[in-house]
Amino acid sequence: MKKIMVIDDEPFILMMLEDKLTAAGYQVITRRDGTDAIEVVKKEQPDLIILDWMMPRISGIDVCKRLKEDIDTAYIPVFMLTAKGQAADERIGLQCGIARYITKPFSPKGLIAEIEEFFGRQVNR
Amino acid sequence: MEDRLIDNDLKATIRELADCYEELSLLYRLSSELSGNLSVEDICNRIVAEVTEQLEVKTAVVMLIEEGGQRLYTKSFKGSWNIMSIDRGGNIVWNAINEKKDIAVCDLMTTEFRDDFPGISSILICPLLGKKRPLGAIIAADKKSKEEFYSYDTKLIMAISTQAALLIENATLYEELEEFFIGSVKALVRALEANSSWTVGHSERVTDYATAIAEGMAEDSEFIERLRICCLLHDIGKIGIPVMILDKHGTLDENESRAVLQHPLNGARMLEGIRAFKDIVAGIRHHHERWDGNGIPHGLKGNDIPLMARIIAVADAFDAMLSDRPYRKKRTMQEAVEELRNSSGSQFDPQVVDTFIKTVIQFSLLHQGVSP
Repeated sequence: MKKIMVIDDEPFILMMLEDKLTAAGYQVITRRDGTDAIEVVKKEQPDLIILDWMMPRISGIDVCKRLKEDIDTAYIPVFMLTAKGQAADERIGLQCGIARYITKPFSPKGLIAEIEEFFGRQVNR
Repeated sequence: MEDRLIDNDLKATIRELADCYEELSLLYRLSSELSGNLSVEDICNRIVAEVTEQLEVKTAVVMLIEEGGQRLYTKSFKGSWNIMSIDRGGNIVWNAINEKKDIAVCDLMTTEFRDDFPGISSILICPLLGKKRPLGAIIAADKKSKEEFYSYDTKLIMAISTQAALLIENATLYEELEEFFIGSVKALVRALEANSSWTVGHSERVTDYATAIAEGMAEDSEFIERLRICCLLHDIGKIGIPVMILDKHGTLDENESRAVLQHPLNGARMLEGIRAFKDIVAGIRHHHERWDGNGIPHGLKGNDIPLMARIIAVADAFDAMLSDRPYRKKRTMQEAVEELRNSSGSQFDPQVVDTFIKTVIQFSLLHQGVSP
């Protein structure tokens, strides 16, 4: 079973994704902020991280940068969730090694389809 | 026990909220994707794609009401659908439109409408309501899961139809406005050309040649649209020139030729105050410039001449050579091609001439069985 970690400060997004992803057959770990994320990621070794861009204390981009700097976590793909929709922002995100960039409000159904397609491609590679 | 109940309640609430979130994301996506100058057809294709995906149905259709209001016709569909039109009357789609509300029928076989939709067992119809009058309807049929339609489906299809109706109405108005605009321009040009029997249809033929050149040069559709209007109006400055000069046999005297040579400038001046023409005025002003810099009115050279004008120069000369004029007989296609080739690099932009010969002339010569 693939393990997905969701980090978002909005409780509703966390609960909704936990519910939807579990129903879709994934194991889900959730965190409300990114401060201890690196340790949790190291311990849990998820197959995918879904990360919110705009969070208090530490932004999704900074979390992502730290993950990518650490040899133990750099390989884990990151999907970035954000309300920012500008192309310029998307470029910053892609520079940080983000696999997919998903604009809020996103379609939960669409996100799951995207994840399945992403894992499918990884397997086929 | 208590905890489990609360937990279940919470789960149910989250699911309901997730549905709302799905709907919100749909609205958000629709409003950003369906903005801009989309045609009615583009909008209807998008609606059909969205309905198929969001409602997870096998078939989705947009039907619009024909002018006159007596018939619905299929504008776009996906899935199995072979109904091209429905006359106004006792049909379930018309009922939805007349009653202005969505209708879901989950087992068509048991209703009086079973023969209306061959091969379809459940159907959800949502009218497209414009501000003043109904526009048509969106139809979703047969869920992939074979389930019935629920109120959530109704909510989604209504969200789509509210947005879509507004957009279709705007796009229709825009298309009508554009038709009116082009129609008026053509009427103006025909009035100009009617003055002289020699030039009837000239501007429209130039438009066709120039369009083919621009397509051959892979210019974008916006450029081509502007070019077409520019071609139609390129000789509008001749409107003040007496017919006796335009139709004169033999050579023109100094005053007469000055009058004729003024027409690119006059045309540009006539149109330059109109916002809709702001991108084409330069094309009119410079369509008699020459690649080598010896043209009129400004003696612009090479790429300083706007591309629109360089294209019109070739199309204009070609059509003129293929038509009889009071002062000379028309040339054959091969003579005209030869002439274009000879003047390529001096009078005309070589790239434009090349493209023209490749795309337009070769095609028509091949059809005449002559090799260019």
